[in-house]
This record gives sequence, structure tokens and C-alpha cells, in this order.
Amino acid sequence: MAEFATWGVIAALGLATFATRLSFLALLGEGELPAWLRHVLNHVPPAILAAIIAPQLLAGAPGPEAALDGPRTVAALAGFAVALLTRSTFAAIAAGMAVLWGLTLL
Amino acid sequence: MASSDRQQAFLAGVRACLPLSPGILLFGMVCGAAAAGAGLTPGQSFALSWMVFAGSSQIVATQLFAAGAPGWVIVLTGWVVNLRFMMYSATLAQQFRGTSRLERWLAGYLLTDQAFGVTLARILDGKRDIAWFYLGIAATLWLFWQVASLAGIVLGARVPAALSIDFVVALTFIGVLAPLVRNRAMAAAAVAGGLTSVFLVLPLKLNLMAAALIGAAVGIAMERLWPSSRPGA
Repeated sequence: MAEFATWGVIAALGLATFATRLSFLALLGEGELPAWLRHVLNHVPPAILAAIIAPQLLAGAPGPEAALDGPRTVAALAGFAVALLTRSTFAAIAAGMAVLWGLTLL
Repeated sequence: MASSDRQQAFLAGVRACLPLSPGILLFGMVCGAAAAGAGLTPGQSFALSWMVFAGSSQIVATQLFAAGAPGWVIVLTGWVVNLRFMMYSATLAQQFRGTSRLERWLAGYLLTDQAFGVTLARILDGKRDIAWFYLGIAATLWLFWQVASLAGIVLGARVPAALSIDFVVALTFIGVLAPLVRNRAMAAAAVAGGLTSVFLVLPLKLNLMAAALIGAAVGIAMERLWPSSRPGA
């Protein structure tokens, strides 16, 4: 992508995000979200977080033939368990990276 | 409100940010390093940090830039990740009733999951000094985030590839996701989103967008089928 186009994308995403943040605080005035929209917005974050995580556990590219990478999958499960137990993202990262390094570097 | 009360509330917000700071600093560094590693210039990487100022959206945009996605797909997908800010904005608007336009615009610019989460707990506790408390935590968080991003942009390229430091992104999101999936419908949304992104390959790098929509649809369907699994249940 040309450099000016990259700047345009960053600015557009920034402005769209800013407008979303301002919505009820400054642009639309006080109000309530419709219940159906609230349902949709509640379920987008877990879906998109998982969609970012999952391809990073693969040995190759996504597709019908996708296969898991052993060390990364084990490290992810360790991080998930620690996150559930401690509710600390920091602890999850430390545990997951320790497992990954243990399995790949030793 | 007297100005000393405002100051007290603001400082209470600053203090409330400190326990969150290790996670924020690490995630900010990861986002900065990821942007620099994806081929964005240092200026562009830092612009993501202060113009978008939302970690998961920044990572999404970074990955799509690296994959060569069209600009409109990057903007649309990155924006969908941030739609949840509308819910927070609606809740905060009641707390900013009667404040100046500048305060409300500033509150909007600084809005993040963490600042909102901590402030919501204070609202539910029945505290009254919410607006300035929120500005205190949100502004401190913003400062930590920008410093961490700059550090990540500068240091990112120097970490050896053998350390697989890119995996910190996945682990960060696992840390954010884990508490959400205690809820059955949200767990279903996560599983559907994950499977979609692994097995479905779409043109124009629309995979993430598809995963968000399919995952959300599955989560909502689950909620309809098993009504006990409401958010927070």
C-alpha cells in the first residue's frame, strides 16, 4: 500500500473509532441502545478475539487443511488456564511464553 | 462540584490505574512492536496508537496491513472491533450530564475497556464523583499506552525471531477472552469465531469480518436457545 494510502486508512479508522466513542457522550445526546444491538455488540468481542487467536495456533496457513502447531497449542492452553485461575493477562502471558520457550528452545 | 472535590476524584482515578499498569504497558509495547514489524513507518505505528487508541483494533489493522488487505477492509474490520464503545458511551453519558462540551469530547477520546470497567464498578458502588474519576483513570491509561507504544516501536525490531515474541499477541487476547467465556453464549461465539478464521478463507482478507459476524450470530442464537446464558449469568 502506498504511504499516503496507509495514512488515509489509519486516519479513517481513527475517526470512525472516535465517532463511536463520542456517540452518546457528545453526538447523539443521551439515549439507550436498542436491545438487539446490545446483543450483537456483546457477542462481537469474544468472536473476534478468538478469530485473532486461532490462526496463531496453526502450523501453516488457515484453510481446509489447517493443522495445529503442538508447542503453540499447549502454550495457549496453559495461558488460558492461568487466565481463568488468576484473571491476570500478565500472568497468562508469562505462563504461556514460559511453556512455549520450554517446548521450543530446550 | 468544588474544584478540590474534582481534584480528589481525578487523583483517585489516577491511583486506580496503577494496578492495571503492568498489563497496559506490556500490551502497548506489543501493539507498537507489531505495527513497526508489519512494515508501517514509526510515525504511522505511533499514529495507530494515538488516533485509534484501542489495542485489539490496532492489532487487527496491523495484521491486515501485513496481509495486504484493501484499505476499506482494514477500516471496516478495525471499526467493527470498536463498536462496543457505543455501549460504554451510552452509560457514561449519564455521568457527564451538565459537563462542558470539552469534557465530554475528552471523555470520548479517552474511552477504553479498562477505564470504563473500573469506572462502571464505581458507578455500581453508588459513588458520586464519577466524571472526574473517569477522566483521571482514562488520562493516566492514555499516557501509559503512548509511552509503551513508543517503547515497542523502538525496541520491537531488535527481539530475535527465535523467541516467538509475536505469540504474546495471542496470549494477551487469551487473557482478555478467558473471563468472557464463562458465559455459555459468549463461549459459543468464541468457538464459532475461532473455527471460522481457521477454516474459511475469503478473498480480500474478509476472514476476520466473517468470523466476527458468524461468531456473533452463533452467540445470539445460543442465547435464544438457552435463555439462562445471559451476559453476566
